[in-house]
Amino acid sequence: MKFKTQKIAYWFFASALLLLVLQIVYGFIMGFAHMGYDGLHNIIPFNTARAVHTNLLLVWLLLGFMGSAYFIIPEEAERELAWPKLAYVQLISFLLVGVTAVVCYHMNIWEGRKFLEIPRPLDWLVVGNILLFLANIGWTIWNGKRFTTTSIVLYMGLLCAALLYLPGMIDFDNQTLDSFYRWWVVHLWVEGVWELIMGGILCFLLIKLTGVDREVVEKWLYIIVGLTFISGILGTGHHYYYIGVPHYWLIVGGIFSALEPLAFLGMAMYALAMAKKGGRKHPNKTALTWTLGCAIMAFVGAGFLGIAHTIPQVNMWTHGTLVTAMHGHLAFWGAYAMIVFAMIAYAMPLMTGRKLWDTNASTYGFWLSNIGMVAMTGAFAVAGISQVVLERRTGIDFMEVQKEIEPHFFGLVLAAGLFTIGILLFILNFIRYGRPTDEALNSDPADT
Amino acid sequence: MLSKSQARAFFLGGTGVFSLAFLGLTYDSHKQVPKQTNEDKLTEQVIRGKKIWEKNNCMGCHTLFGEGAYYAPELTKVVERRGKDWMRLFLKDPQAMFPGERKMTDYDFSDEQIEDVIAFFEWCGNVDLNGFPAKPPLGRVAAPIVTTGKSDVPQPELFKTICIACHSVGGVGGIVGPALDQVGTRIEREPMKDWIRDPQKIKPGTPMPQIPMTPEQLDEIVDYLQGLSNNQ
Repeated sequence: MKFKTQKIAYWFFASALLLLVLQIVYGFIMGFAHMGYDGLHNIIPFNTARAVHTNLLLVWLLLGFMGSAYFIIPEEAERELAWPKLAYVQLISFLLVGVTAVVCYHMNIWEGRKFLEIPRPLDWLVVGNILLFLANIGWTIWNGKRFTTTSIVLYMGLLCAALLYLPGMIDFDNQTLDSFYRWWVVHLWVEGVWELIMGGILCFLLIKLTGVDREVVEKWLYIIVGLTFISGILGTGHHYYYIGVPHYWLIVGGIFSALEPLAFLGMAMYALAMAKKGGRKHPNKTALTWTLGCAIMAFVGAGFLGIAHTIPQVNMWTHGTLVTAMHGHLAFWGAYAMIVFAMIAYAMPLMTGRKLWDTNASTYGFWLSNIGMVAMTGAFAVAGISQVVLERRTGIDFMEVQKEIEPHFFGLVLAAGLFTIGILLFILNFIRYGRPTDEALNSDPADT
Repeated sequence: MLSKSQARAFFLGGTGVFSLAFLGLTYDSHKQVPKQTNEDKLTEQVIRGKKIWEKNNCMGCHTLFGEGAYYAPELTKVVERRGKDWMRLFLKDPQAMFPGERKMTDYDFSDEQIEDVIAFFEWCGNVDLNGFPAKPPLGRVAAPIVTTGKSDVPQPELFKTICIACHSVGGVGGIVGPALDQVGTRIEREPMKDWIRDPQKIKPGTPMPQIPMTPEQLDEIVDYLQGLSNNQ
C-alpha cells in the first residue's frame, strides 16, 4: 500500500464478504426447496429467495469492484483518493439501498423482472450512488500524476456499467421489448463491460504479481477486451433467439456467441503466459493462485459452458431449464467472484501489514470453494440435462420431472456445503488479518 | 509484432463497428416486433395482466418465453396446454389443485385479475417465438395402460380440462390422484356424486379439491366414469 486512502477498500471487501454469506444462505433455502423441503415457503417463498440470491450477488460483486477500484486507482494515479469521506458515505448508502431492496422482496414489493427486481425508487438511488463513486475515482485519475491503460480500462468498464443500467429502467407494455432491453443491462454487463472491469483488475494484479513489463501486459489487455466486445456485443443475440424478435438473431447470436469463449480463452492464456514469463517471485502465492484460477475458471464456466448451450439448436431445448443455472453458477464464480477474491487476497497483506497469505485457511479456502463450485455445477448439469430429456424431449409433465430430479439437488446441497466451508475459511483468514493500518504503508515485498 | 497503439485501435475500432451493427439490428427488430408479437392485440387487459405478472415477481419461479426461474412450469403456452377453465380454478386456490406438491403462493386474485392474467398469457402464447417451445420429438414414456380408456359416452369437456390434471384415464393424465380407469367398479353412482360434490365432507383432510360445477356437468362426469368400467 502506497497511499493512506487505499485502506477504504477494506470496508468494501468486508461488506462484500458479509453479503456473500447471506447470498449463500438464500441459496441453501432454494436448494432445499428443490428437494421438496419447502418449510419456509410462507415466510420466504421461492421467488423471494431467488431475487435475494441473485441481487445480493450483484451487490457484493459491485462492492468488490468498487473496493478494488479504490485500492487500484490511487496507486495507478499516484495520489491519494480525491474525497475519502465521500467513499464512506457512498459505501453506507449503497449498503442501505441493498438492504432495503432485500427487505422489500420479503414484502412482495419489486419490479418482477429477472435480475432487475429492485423497486423503481431504489433504481434512482443506485444511479446516484454509482455517480458519486465514478466522480470520486474519476477526479482522482484526472488529477493524478499519471494515466495508465489499466486505470482507464477499469474506469471505462465502471462508467459503461452505470450507463447501461439505464435501458433497464424504460417501461414497455410489450413483453418482447421489455425482455429485449432487460438484456441490454444484464448481458452487456456480464458479458461486456464487466469483463473490462475484470480485465482491468486482472491486468493490475498481473503487473504487480509477475513483474512483467507494464507495456506488454497492457497491450494484451487491449486485445483481450477488444475480443470481448467484438464477440460479446452481437453475442447479446443468444438471449434473443426465442423472445419474439426476428429470426436473424439466431444466426447473429449463434455465430458471435461461438466467438465469446475466444475472449475468455485469450484471457486464460494471457494470464498463464504472463505468470510464466514474469521473473519476479512475489511471495503472495495465494493472490497469484486466485488470479490464475480466475482466468481459467472464467474460461471453463463462462466460455466453455456458455457455448455449450448458446448454440441455437441446443438452446431450443435447454432454454429456460436448469442447464442455465449450471452455466450461471460457474460463470459468475469464475469470472467475477474469483477476481474479487484475488484482489482481496492481494490487498489484505498490504493494507494490514500482516503476511497471512500462505496459511492453511487460505490454501484450503481456495481449493474447497473451487472443488465445491465445480461439484455444484456438475449437480446442476445432471439435473438440467435430465430435465431437458424428460420434459422437453419426451414431454413428461414439469412437476413429474421435478420429482425425478430431486436427488440431484441433494448432491447440489452437499457440494454447496463444501463450497461454503471454503468460503468460511477464506473469511476466517480475512478476519485474522485484522484492520488496515497506516503502519502498513510501503510494505509491498515486491517493491523492496 | 503488434504495438500498443495498434492494439488500442483494434479495441476501439472493433467495439465501434460491432456497436453500430448491434444498434442497426436493434432498429430493424423494433420495426418487426409489432407484427411478430401481434401488437394490435395488446389490449388494456393484457397490459393489466402483465403488470400483475411483474408486481408479484412470477418470474421468480416460472419462466415465460423461457426466461425466469426454474422452480415452476414454463407458461408461454399455458392457455393452450391447460385451458382457461383450469387456469381460473387454479389461480383461485393454487395449492388445492396440487395438494401436497410444490407450493405456489396464493395471491388472493379477484376474478377480474385472473381474467387479466389469462389474457396476458393468451397474448404471449400467440407471439411468434421462432419455434419455441418445440414439441417433444420423442414419444412419451407412457404409464402402463390398464384400459383402452374408452367409455360409453365421450369424455366431458370439464374432465378434459380439469380432472385430467391430477387423474389419468387410459394412461393419459396426471399422477397426483389415482387413475380412474376402474373407479366405476368400486364406487356406485350416488356415492360418487356425493364425493365429487364435497370431498371434504366424505373424507375430511382429503387432498381432492371441490371443483365447482353444475348438476348437469356432474351427471356428465359420473356417466363418463361409470361408462369406463363397461369397456374393460
